[in-house]
Amino acid sequence: MNTNHLSAWEQEEYVLTQGTDQPAPQIIRHLAECAECRAAVERLEHGVGIFRSAAVEWSSQCLATRAQQPYVVSVRRFPVVAMRWVLAAAIPLVLLALVLFPLHVPSPHAVQPVQQMSDDALLDQVDEQVSVAVPSSMESLTHLVSTQSSANAAAQGAKHIVQTN
Amino acid sequence: MEALERLIYARELSPVRDRMIAELEDIDTLCATYRSRIYRYALLSLRDPDLAESVTQDCFLKAYRARDEFRGDCSVATWLTRIATNLIRDSTRSRKFQFWKTVGNTAVDIGAMADRLRAPGGSPETSLVVREELLKVWDAVAALPGQQRSVFLLRFVEEMELPEIANAMGLHVGTVKSHLHRGLAAVRKAMEKTK
Repeated sequence: MNTNHLSAWEQEEYVLTQGTDQPAPQIIRHLAECAECRAAVERLEHGVGIFRSAAVEWSSQCLATRAQQPYVVSVRRFPVVAMRWVLAAAIPLVLLALVLFPLHVPSPHAVQPVQQMSDDALLDQVDEQVSVAVPSSMESLTHLVSTQSSANAAAQGAKHIVQTN
Repeated sequence: MEALERLIYARELSPVRDRMIAELEDIDTLCATYRSRIYRYALLSLRDPDLAESVTQDCFLKAYRARDEFRGDCSVATWLTRIATNLIRDSTRSRKFQFWKTVGNTAVDIGAMADRLRAPGGSPETSLVVREELLKVWDAVAALPGQQRSVFLLRFVEEMELPEIANAMGLHVGTVKSHLHRGLAAVRKAMEKTK
């Protein structure tokens, strides 16, 4: 009888390669001869087996309770999710654009100098006219209400009439 | 020569890939075919039926949206498993503080499940032993680190082959084997406790 039993690693190797790779021939040969190692391997397989049965049973049971609910993979969620990403991507882009290309607001400093000069001249002219005590259209009347003698005024008026004639 | 071989390989692969892409196009059929598998994997990983359902739906949604990126270098099942693995990992990360809830749910479910696993014609003593063994193994698997547990589930529940698991998890086959050895060692230890 072979007293060199399989190591724990060899027993595990046998269990995990079953159904896929062919276990090493010496392991198979030893298991055929050694009841002790065969029992150890069977015990390990039993442990894995009950775990698998329980796992499949539990999963089937859970699926059965969910089978009444319609199973719909919500492909429609895509636009919502996509929109979130689009928004997330758009925000930094907008911020970047604002930094690089600020909104065009005309500021007083941005007015051209030529235009400013003509505006200044116009304002001076207006100031000058406003600061005159009597408007030009009423200037002749000032002579009539002058404090000078009426004779002088009359002479001047006559002269004026003669000149205009 | 190498380019020629690649071309021949690509031509051989093309009809298979086309068939797989056609499978991905029809989301209803895709769900009908793989739902139970993906749900089971998510349920056993997360131990929360509602969250597992949510992950399953997200998995199919992601697969449908990314169907153009599918290269056909693995089966549709493996590809879906890869997506589910990533989703499960994300869910686990965000749920670290809800562990107490998961533990509570699991305890109830396992008790009920162990009763259902009673072998027909088995004695009450045998049933009790099986129940005890299951509880121990269940806890042992639950205590495995995330990646080891996923590998264990994919191998021993979903019965995937080692290269497929490696592909789905983005690991080397050697690493997958190492995880499986650790998982089996935990199961062995759990079984020894029930002796």
